[in-house]
Amino acid sequence: MRILVTVLAIASGVTVLAGYFLAGAVPVLDQARFILTDWAVILAGMAALIGVANLVFVHIEKVRSQPGTSLYSAVLIIALFGTTLYGVIAGPEDSFLNFAVTAIVIPVEASLLALLAVTLVYACIRLARRRADVMSVIFLVTIVLFLLAVMPTPIGPIPVLDRLILGMTGVVSGAGARGLLIGVALGTLLTGLRVLLGIDRPYGGN
Amino acid sequence: MSFEVVSAVIGLLLTLMVFSYLIGDNPLFRLAVYLFIGVASGYAVTVIWHSVLVPRLLDPLGNPNRLAWTVVPLILSISLWAKLSPRISRLGGFAMAVIVGVGAATAIGGALTGTLIPQVEAAMDSFDSSEGAVMLAGTVLTLAYFQFGAKRAPDDTIKRGAVIELLAWLGRLFIAVTLGVLFAGVYLSALTALIERLSSIINLVKSLLGL
Repeated sequence: MRILVTVLAIASGVTVLAGYFLAGAVPVLDQARFILTDWAVILAGMAALIGVANLVFVHIEKVRSQPGTSLYSAVLIIALFGTTLYGVIAGPEDSFLNFAVTAIVIPVEASLLALLAVTLVYACIRLARRRADVMSVIFLVTIVLFLLAVMPTPIGPIPVLDRLILGMTGVVSGAGARGLLIGVALGTLLTGLRVLLGIDRPYGGN
Repeated sequence: MSFEVVSAVIGLLLTLMVFSYLIGDNPLFRLAVYLFIGVASGYAVTVIWHSVLVPRLLDPLGNPNRLAWTVVPLILSISLWAKLSPRISRLGGFAMAVIVGVGAATAIGGALTGTLIPQVEAAMDSFDSSEGAVMLAGTVLTLAYFQFGAKRAPDDTIKRGAVIELLAWLGRLFIAVTLGVLFAGVYLSALTALIERLSSIINLVKSLLGL
């Protein structure tokens, strides 16, 4: 069975890759790529549903095993079931569902992001106190200079300094970002090839 | 009270509950976060159901022309649920194999045509200026930092060569500046969200008091 699973993974991957690069020469490969990608989208959607189902099972178990202290899990389950049942029946465009999103999801998301403004400053202070080496200093100085250049100051924009800072950090950070992007792409390429060659089998084929 | 006012009042309460984390982890913060996870997960299920499963899996089952192509993903989708039980989780391996295989191929295609080739082309295009030379040097030095090939020294320690060590150190400088700029960008986003939340609280209180 493990061999069959591995063969299926390699065959589906190679077909999609071949369809990607040889679509002009062999049109049937392009069609096969579309069909397989469609299947993968369906399966990814189903996998997300299974993830949510697992979340529900974990919290139901919490409610069952710790009845006195599992108020939060109960709130989560009720909110999840209420939203899911109503959403599946009414659809994502329904005004009441959008009301729930506007009233609950957006404010909490925005507030959590706002909390980050405080925790990031705290993290910077901790970094400066605990690891004041060359790289940390460069990192922190870059943050301060970049914020000085892009944020409004009480005396208005600083005429030469902001352009100088943005130019310097732009070139240096652009180079670093390009290096990181190329590194990430090379890593992705290598990981993908390892899967397609059957060296890595994260689908359970050991 | 209109929907908008109720929505704004609930939003205000939840914002204050989340902000209460600033004085430490507490039940109000947890309640807000658990409620958020519940509603957001329910909304995600709704979107997946209506945007993926109904149009791609359930609707084609009623169409005889597309039925044959839909039976396979239907069987694979059902088998995927076996992953929830350790005893029969092997049955979900076929569905996982399709997801991983197609995902790997898509990732290879995306990495090549979406990142590698455009980035290399952009590096070549900008090489006609002094900025381009700095960019190229920075790119190479950053990549050198991730070169972890090393040799065993006579004293049995494993070290990189002196040249690559120097290049990697210079590469770290570029990475530190890049991460600093990225950090500042994230901080600006967080600050914008904080200002938006505070202004929405002030506006709501003003409107409720009729100011």
